[in-house]
Amino acid sequence: MTTAPEPRPAFAHASEAELARILDFYQVRWTYEPDTFPIAWSMSGDVVESFSPDFYLPDLDLYVELTTLKQKLVRKKNRKLRRLRELYPEVRIKLFYARDFRMLLLKFGRLALADDLSGTIGQATPPRSADRIVVEAAAAAAGHLAGDRGTAGSDTVPSPAARGRRRGRRRRRGVPDEAGGLPVGTSVEPPATPLSTGRAPDGRTRDHRPVS
Amino acid sequence: MTRSIDLEADIGEVLLSEEAIAARTAELGRQITADYAGSNLTLVSVLKGSLPFMADLMRDIALPLRIDLMEVSSYGGTATESSGLVRIIKDLSASIAGEDVLLVEDIIDTGLTLNYLVRYLRGKNPASLRICTLLDKPARRLVEIPVDYVGFEIPDQFVVGYGLDYGERYRNLRFVGVLRPEVYTPPE
Repeated sequence: MTTAPEPRPAFAHASEAELARILDFYQVRWTYEPDTFPIAWSMSGDVVESFSPDFYLPDLDLYVELTTLKQKLVRKKNRKLRRLRELYPEVRIKLFYARDFRMLLLKFGRLALADDLSGTIGQATPPRSADRIVVEAAAAAAGHLAGDRGTAGSDTVPSPAARGRRRGRRRRRGVPDEAGGLPVGTSVEPPATPLSTGRAPDGRTRDHRPVS
Repeated sequence: MTRSIDLEADIGEVLLSEEAIAARTAELGRQITADYAGSNLTLVSVLKGSLPFMADLMRDIALPLRIDLMEVSSYGGTATESSGLVRIIKDLSASIAGEDVLLVEDIIDTGLTLNYLVRYLRGKNPASLRICTLLDKPARRLVEIPVDYVGFEIPDQFVVGYGLDYGERYRNLRFVGVLRPEVYTPPE
């Protein structure tokens, strides 16, 4: 009995779609943004910054993060990656820079695609600034979330904290907000004991296998 | 106007000279001879890039051995459009069941092709399966597979020659060199 192929996820960037095609070609299973890793907390224990690697390759136990921005613009991503490695040393992750991706396309004779897939041209959604992420996370942590769905109106987008609650195997839920303490956005050590390590409410990850 | 190809002028830097390749291949041959003494050795070469390395390596192995050739489609090649999946273009000509197989590669980069090949060959029940590569380029490795014999670990540069190609050319260079970016960079 054959099953219908799972629908492709909505990739945020064309380069991610191309990497997915490459992985499919070589029959390497992948999931897209299955996990969100909190990497910074406020004094009250709420997540104010997190990191969702683009791909997880389950057969290799490896996360892959793709960035096709120019090297000088990936400082922030490098910082997040360093923080992730500090906090989760057991997590294996590889970062593909723009040059790496370009060389990969060259190897496969598809260099002509490189410019179309790089930088902001290939993005499906506008880039979000770090400030906006922190502000949204703070607002979400202050109790504007509706359960775990993180919807907060049509003029906002889900914050990393909300995404961390909505899905993912590894996440920590902050304690209820209390008066006082350091300003939101202050990076502090995480709670000694994770308050929640449960799965996303729907319990699913999107596991895409190549069509056989 | 089609750009004419000047094999050696298109090389920016010679990374590995003919002499260095020959010396290292001889070393690998001696090591393999010692390791496989008394075994039923079959060298499996992955076309097309590993052809020169295979031809030289096998002559540096002082053992009775068999050779066989395989070819696998590559992403972005003409085979891609039809199936969307990697496939065997040319399979082994004989069974490797019970054989001590040494897979001979030209270069290991992402490890994606090697990962597929290893899974495929293991399914054919060899007595053992090891890997020998002339060049190891770990910078973009996605699949970590233990490699038993490595000729040279090289930096993250696009190399051609001694079997390696760009657009099916430069394979016949006697050395391994770094292709000048102007060769593969589209004109403005």
